[in-house]
Order: sequence, then structure tokens, then C-alpha cells
Amino acid sequence: MSRAELVSKSAKRERTILQTLAYIGLGIFFLWTTLPLLVMVLSSMKQMRDAFEIPAVGDWSGAFMKMFDFTPTLVHYHDLFVEKGFSTYIVNSVVAATTASVISVFLGALAAYGLSRGRIKGDKHLSFWILSSRMAPVVAVMVPLYAIFAGMGLLEPDRTRNMVALILAYTTFDLPFAVWFLRTFFEDIPLGVEEAAKLDGCSNLQAFVKVVLPLAVPGIAAALILCLVFSWNDYMFASIFGQQGAKTLPVATAELHSTVSIQWGRIMASGTILITPMIFLGVLVKKYMVQGMTSGAVRD
Amino acid sequence: MAGVKLKNICKRYGGGDVDAVSDLSLECKDKEFFALLGPSGCGKSSTLRMIAGLEEISKGEIYIDNQVVNEVEPKDRDIAMVFETYALYPNKKVRANMAFPLRVGKKKYSDAEIKERVAKAAEILEITDFLDRYPKQLSGGQKQRVAIGRAIVREPKVFLLDEPISHLDAKLRTHMRSELKLLQRTLGTTMIYVTHDQMEAMGMADRIAIMNYGMLQQVGTPDEIFNHPANLFVAGFVGDPPMNFINCLLEVSKDNCQLINESFKIKLTQDMLDRYNKKNGNSPAKSIDVVMGVRPESFILTEKEGTENSFPAEVLVTEPLGEEMVVDVKIPENKNDLKIKVSVDRDIKAGDKIWLDLNKDKMHLFDRKTEKALLNVRRWKK
Repeated sequence: MSRAELVSKSAKRERTILQTLAYIGLGIFFLWTTLPLLVMVLSSMKQMRDAFEIPAVGDWSGAFMKMFDFTPTLVHYHDLFVEKGFSTYIVNSVVAATTASVISVFLGALAAYGLSRGRIKGDKHLSFWILSSRMAPVVAVMVPLYAIFAGMGLLEPDRTRNMVALILAYTTFDLPFAVWFLRTFFEDIPLGVEEAAKLDGCSNLQAFVKVVLPLAVPGIAAALILCLVFSWNDYMFASIFGQQGAKTLPVATAELHSTVSIQWGRIMASGTILITPMIFLGVLVKKYMVQGMTSGAVRD
Repeated sequence: MAGVKLKNICKRYGGGDVDAVSDLSLECKDKEFFALLGPSGCGKSSTLRMIAGLEEISKGEIYIDNQVVNEVEPKDRDIAMVFETYALYPNKKVRANMAFPLRVGKKKYSDAEIKERVAKAAEILEITDFLDRYPKQLSGGQKQRVAIGRAIVREPKVFLLDEPISHLDAKLRTHMRSELKLLQRTLGTTMIYVTHDQMEAMGMADRIAIMNYGMLQQVGTPDEIFNHPANLFVAGFVGDPPMNFINCLLEVSKDNCQLINESFKIKLTQDMLDRYNKKNGNSPAKSIDVVMGVRPESFILTEKEGTENSFPAEVLVTEPLGEEMVVDVKIPENKNDLKIKVSVDRDIKAGDKIWLDLNKDKMHLFDRKTEKALLNVRRWKK
């Protein structure tokens, strides 16, 4: 066997080992992240006694088998909707998150486009400043926002008022993100394409709507989804501004855990309802983020 | 169809203190193939972009079809442009790319008419087979054709082309030169073509404007540019290999005139003297510093000492290029080596001692201070 062959063989072996290690690492990570979700989903469909059944000491395979050994029930879901009025909370969550995200992405797209075209003096500083407003911890803005909203009468126990407060609060956090996120997308759209559109007969607005915007769709979709995720998952704003009139899903879930009792079954069911749409959105956003729509536009 | 006129155009980019284009006046006639030629950064692209309306004009006026268009939006100028980067719409198929100007333009076209126009343009450019592909599925040459197709469907007043073929490979570029010229003749549209490649400008254009540092150097037909360069820059920019420059002293007396250099003494003929005087006025007897310009093909190369004007040189390198051979020679006391073009069957190799003479009819003289031409090649009556 020649020396070159030996070298290539040892390099190959090294690669195989590294690959195996990578797969083991990924496997552990996969279990680490998905196992709690699995337990949550399964527990949401178990009676309390099934959920809390403890296997004998040292009975590992039994522990695993027991996880799946139960009679599925939807009683917790039934309780949530019938007794606890969760459908209202879901509607609150959906309306607040969607409205704030749409507003943020619409305004964010316009701002990001303006910042991406290099016609504004100090645009780099401006975009960093916009982003930095997102870096502040939520609690830092909570007090001033509370004062402002209280002054505006948005904190009265009224569904519409509280909803407006929530939407405004989410927008203050989603908008900077949308601007910053979309700016990079617009920057990737070559200026030449826009100029070509103008010479082809488009006005500035037409060039933006007919040529630039379609190319930015993946970015806009991704930004919209991420804003939705942020707003949907929020607890802090909702617990303070929405508590009375516009309770959202995370707040309602937290209330199932009271000083008197911890309603594990319902908490698990509510958690499942909370994360299911987020998982779908996560898969969607991945699709858009990967897509490179501008490839082939100009000579590379 | 329309002509384009530039009157005292200046362009200064924000914050800069140098004019990208300074005091440029040009006139491109109706149905003319007009080239803007110059090295990168000379202001030719800025000029084109001002004509297109993509760049604001700092000073001066631009006329299209005798109307000032300074404040007219690009979309209302009725011009089409082919970009260096092609700038195709990546999310649209070729067909939609070509139809786009017809769909968004001021003039409305029926679907049937759009279809017909796109089909016709595609046929001219031989891209009918690619109509249902996306730009990213096309090669550079095909993308470039689509970009041209998008420009011609609308039959605009003026075509602007910004280095449209500079990124194609050499063979395709040569092919596209003649195609574009033919296309311009077929369409009969005014075309303004920006390029840094003198071969493109010389081969395609009816007239060429040469620019450098934002300033117009010369406007003329390829023949005028090549044979009667207005200054040292134009002379050195056009021609491949470029013109050879040799610093000399021009001694002018009443009826005698000679070029003197450490290596040679060349007497100007009566005809040259007449042309010199005609161009520069009867100059008083004096000596002036000049640059002699001789194109590589205007040298006469001999193995033995020839006429009284010939001078010795040494061959440094030979570059055989098929039919011709470029010979680099060194003449004593001259800083720059000369490039000389001879037939490839001449038996010359590195290290040979040779004698050079030159075709005086083809000699150029430039003032060393002002760099302006004092004498150009003799013009033969056709």
C-alpha cells in the first residue's frame, strides 16, 4: 500500500470518527430538547394517576414503557375550554400577536427599505440605534409604558383598551427587530434591478411594489413569523397590561398554578396548545430563511 | 427616434470636491451608434446614468429629442438601458422579464400585442428556447441577450448600454460586437454605448467620445480618433499595442525642421512641414519639446543600416501572434521600450541588433507641455 493511500485511509477514518461523534452529540441534543415536549404532550392526555405513576427503582425499560402505557383522555382540554374559557384567551393571544406583527412588519419593511438604499446620512448609526432599543430588557420599559398607558386610560379593565395596550407594547419590541432584520434582506436586492424597473417605466413606488417587494417576500415572511413568535410567547407585558381585560394564553396558563393547587393536567394541555402553532411557524420560517430568492439576478 | 444632446454637464457626487464629469458637451445624432470610451473612473458611466435619469445632474442640461429632460423621471424619458450586471428580475421568467416594460409603461399594450412583441424580440436575439426559464438558469451570454431583449421590446427613443458585453468571454464578445452593430442598424435606433474597451468602441461606433478624469478628450469617428488623436491621452489609449512615445526636441527654422533625440535625428519632409504649419500657424523659428508618437505598425525594421533617418535598436522580446509578431525593442538613451509590429515570418529573435526607420507619413507629434497634437498622420484623399 502506498504512502498516499495510507494517508488517505487514516484521514478517512478520522472523518468517520468525527462524523460519529457529531451524530452522538446531535442525538443527545435532540433528546434533551424534545423529551420534555413529548412528556408534556403525553401528560396532557393522561389522567393524574397515570401521569404521576412512578416506576420501580432500577426499572429503566419499564419507566420508558410506562410513559406510553395509559388510556388517552381529552378531559383536560375539555376543562380548559368549557370551564376555564380558554377560547377567549386564545383569541386574545391571536389578535394581539397578529396585529402587532403585521403593523411591525409593514412599518418595518418601509423603514428597512429606506435604510438599505444608502440615501440617508448616518443610516448605519440610525439602524444600530433602532436595534439597540430592542436590547433593553423588557422590565426597563415596563414602568414608563405602564405610566403612559395608564395616562391614556388603556389599563382600565376593558378588553378593547387592554388589547390596544398589548398591541402597542408588542409593536415597540417587534418593530425594531423587523427593521433590523429586513434591512439585510433589502440590502441583498441589487440596486440595478430597481433601476432597471424605473427605466422600464415604473415610478419609484411601482418599482418598490412590483420589483423590490416580491424579491423581499421570503424576508418579510420570516420577519412576520418571528414577530408572531415573540408576541405569542410574551408573558411579561400580557401579565401587566392584559391581565384584567385581555388575558392571553401564557398568562392564563400561569394562573393554573395557584397557591391552592397545581393543575398539572391542564397546564400540560395548555402548554401543548401554546407550542403547537409555534412549531408549525418554526418549520415555515426555516423554509423562508433558507430560500435565496435573489440568486441569478445579476452577474455574480 | 431621437438625438441626445448634453450641454455643459457637470456631475459632483455628494461630499466630494472633484467633478466626476466636468463641463461635458456632446451631441449624439439621431440613429447614431455613439460610444463613450475611457478608462474606469473617467465619468462615462456617470454620464450615461445622467442621461438615463438615474443620477442627478449637478449642472448643465440634457436634451433628448430637443427637449430638456433634467427634471423628467427615468420612466418618462422613453429610453431603455442595458446594465453591466444585466439586472434581470430574478423572480420572473425570461418571458415576463421581457414583457415587463410593456406592462408597466405609459403606453398600454394588449396581451396579444405583448406576446407578439416578445416573440419577435426573442427571435431576433435567438432566445426563443429560453423564454420559460428563470434568469438563474441562463448563462452569462443568454442573460445578456435577455437584457437586450427587455430593452428592445418597447422600441424606445434611445438605447443606453453600459458595458453590456464586458463580462462575456473573449469569443462571445467578438461575436456580440458584430451582432449589436447589426441590431442597431436593423432597429435604426440611437444607441449610446459605454465601454472601456477600445476594440468595442472602434469596431461598433459611428462616433466615439473619449473621456478621461471626467473631461471630454475628443469626439470623432473611429478613423479620426485613431489617425488624428487630439492629444497624448487619446493617442495612447486607442490602439493595441498602444502608440510608442519618444521624447524629442523639434527644431524649427524657416524652411528646415528636424526631430532630435539622443539616438536619432529625423528630418521632417516638406509635406509634414506644410501640415505642421497649417495646423499650428506659421510658427517662429524655435525649438520645442515634443513627444513623437509612432504606432507599432508604422516602423520599418531592417537588418542593415538604412537611410539617413534610421537608428539602431536591440530586440528584447518577440511575441508571435499568429499572423503578426510584436517585437519589443530598446533604443539607446530612451527610457521606454518600443513595441513594433512586424510580419511573423521575419527572422528576428531576442538579442538581435536591428535598425529602425519609420513611415513619416504616419508620425504624430504632441506638445510635451500641453499634450496637444501638433501633427497627425497624413490624410489620404479617398
